[in-house]
Amino acid sequence: MKNMRKAISLWNRGHWKDYVFSQGMLLIASLLLVFFISIGLGVGNILQRFLSSDLPEEQVRITPLGVQAGFFQTERGGTEITADIMDSLAALPQVDRIDPQVYAHVPAYLRGLLGGRNYYTDITLEGVSDAFVPDSMLEHIDWNYTLSDSSVKPLPIILSENLLILYNAGFAESSGLMGLTPEGVIGLAVRVNVGSSSIASLQSPPINIRAEIVCTSRNTALFALAVPIEFVEEINALYLPDDRHTYSALMVTAHEAEDVPEIVRCAEEMGLSAETRRGIAQKAEILVSVVTAALGALAAAILFSAVASAIHTLVADLKNRSYALGVLVALGTRRERLVYIFAFQIFFMSFISTLSGGLLGCGLSFVVSSTLLNLLPVLKMAVSTLAVFPVGWLSAGLGLVLSVSTVSAWFFFRKILATPVTELLRR
Amino acid sequence: MSKPLISARSVVRVFGNLKVLNGADFSLYEGEFVAVTGKSGVGKSTLLGVLGTHDPAFGGELIINGVNAAEASSPELAELRREFMGFIFQDFHLLPNLNALDNVLLPAVFSGTDTYEVREDAATILSRLDLRNDNTPTRFLSRGERQRVASARALVNNPRILMADEPTASLDEESEENLFDLLDSLRREKGFAIIAVLHSKKILARADRILELKEGVLHEKHA
Repeated sequence: MKNMRKAISLWNRGHWKDYVFSQGMLLIASLLLVFFISIGLGVGNILQRFLSSDLPEEQVRITPLGVQAGFFQTERGGTEITADIMDSLAALPQVDRIDPQVYAHVPAYLRGLLGGRNYYTDITLEGVSDAFVPDSMLEHIDWNYTLSDSSVKPLPIILSENLLILYNAGFAESSGLMGLTPEGVIGLAVRVNVGSSSIASLQSPPINIRAEIVCTSRNTALFALAVPIEFVEEINALYLPDDRHTYSALMVTAHEAEDVPEIVRCAEEMGLSAETRRGIAQKAEILVSVVTAALGALAAAILFSAVASAIHTLVADLKNRSYALGVLVALGTRRERLVYIFAFQIFFMSFISTLSGGLLGCGLSFVVSSTLLNLLPVLKMAVSTLAVFPVGWLSAGLGLVLSVSTVSAWFFFRKILATPVTELLRR
Repeated sequence: MSKPLISARSVVRVFGNLKVLNGADFSLYEGEFVAVTGKSGVGKSTLLGVLGTHDPAFGGELIINGVNAAEASSPELAELRREFMGFIFQDFHLLPNLNALDNVLLPAVFSGTDTYEVREDAATILSRLDLRNDNTPTRFLSRGERQRVASARALVNNPRILMADEPTASLDEESEENLFDLLDSLRREKGFAIIAVLHSKKILARADRILELKEGVLHEKHA
């Protein structure tokens, strides 16, 4: 439009600071909106990742209430899972299959090389069936292993992914070791010593065997290394022949997912603990909801104040110019020229500010995400990024910020234009 | 006699219970200089507000250049002000952050008619009014200087009617004479009409007609 640049320059002379401030507030509101949505969802994701389980819907993990696996050995107490209990559960019409798990009640340790440095830890072994091996890997992994195989093949180990997270967060960081990813540990060769550990040893001589981590799982016990069940039963029989045979856990598969509650009820009646996908999911959901609600409330408060400030400064800026508008109208300026200026100043520039704020918010989220992941390897191992950019939600949020602020300003502008000139000139 | 540029009949303007204009009749012809006088607070500025189409809340008939102001739309009235009239307001109504030239060019810039010729005209008028054409914002100018900037702004669009509300109130005698010398010469040159609220006897003597506003009605003092 002819003279538009000059008109805008005259219109803003002496008001640049206010105008830049109002647009700056809009930019900050957009930046905060994108940052909090992006990082908030990223935090939600990481919580879900830490708290989630791969337990299928039709499976129940039944464990004794009083048995805990520690780093060094198992402790016993409370109701234990005996063969009778397993038979009772197997007799339930809802049960399709039971995969038992057994702790090796024998001290053991693991030694290996991690990142070129010697690594040693006392361990607990838990015998599990091949139900823990992901279906996609079953044909590549030979889950049958007895002591007689020790000279021909390594002992296959399934590692808990949550143990990896703890390793990354604690030991690796404090020891200056490199962090490990689930993919990174597969194929790692170690040596497992059974019969003695740093704090205990049995009369029979220890056995030292080659082992290899073959896969990871989110469903195995946190502190135990899962190995083939027949190997653990062999070890228990060899070192503790008089020990009472009990199970560390039963992985019960129901015919249908709908049968799971009944199995849970029966297990709990027997004094056992039952864990289901739904139960884990509910716990995770509650925690994630609490964290995201807290983050959301903080974000909403900051966003509200930023948007309110943006609206206030936009409107205050217009209010400061109501006299100038009065002068222009008194001199016969066409209203559409004033509307063009408003459209450029408020709609167009606010759009640019909101868009810039959004892009800067994405950039800030990306930088914060990268920094946190670099500072905290435990996060890096769990997720590739903390910044999530759901385009639809971000666009809707930015659109809301833009429309709320500009529509408020537009109504105020219309109100000024509708005010009699004589009144505007009196201000 | 030719058709009047402004013809007002029985104009009434009421503020609450106060009838400030109570059936004022007025007409203004091409090239004529009409002065309006009256005591303070009698409604002279209100009269100019109505005649200048800034105040649409009046009763009676007001025809400006053939347009019935009482029935005209807001854009039509804006066009009348823009194309037909120039205003020197009592409080100047300059934009304080702009310099003299930008204030003078304000109507042209916002109407999209800010051409090289208009800029030349503006600079000429400013110099004829003894005003510096520099970047000093008008908020730093004296009242007299601002009065002259307001006068220059009113003249730059070559109006057919110049409406001036006490245009010499802030000027010393010499400046007052200078301003009206300039207005007279431009009036002769361009043929516009002037309606001005005035008190100075010297300037009143230059008017073609003097009208006194009394109790909301205009009375002709002498021709």
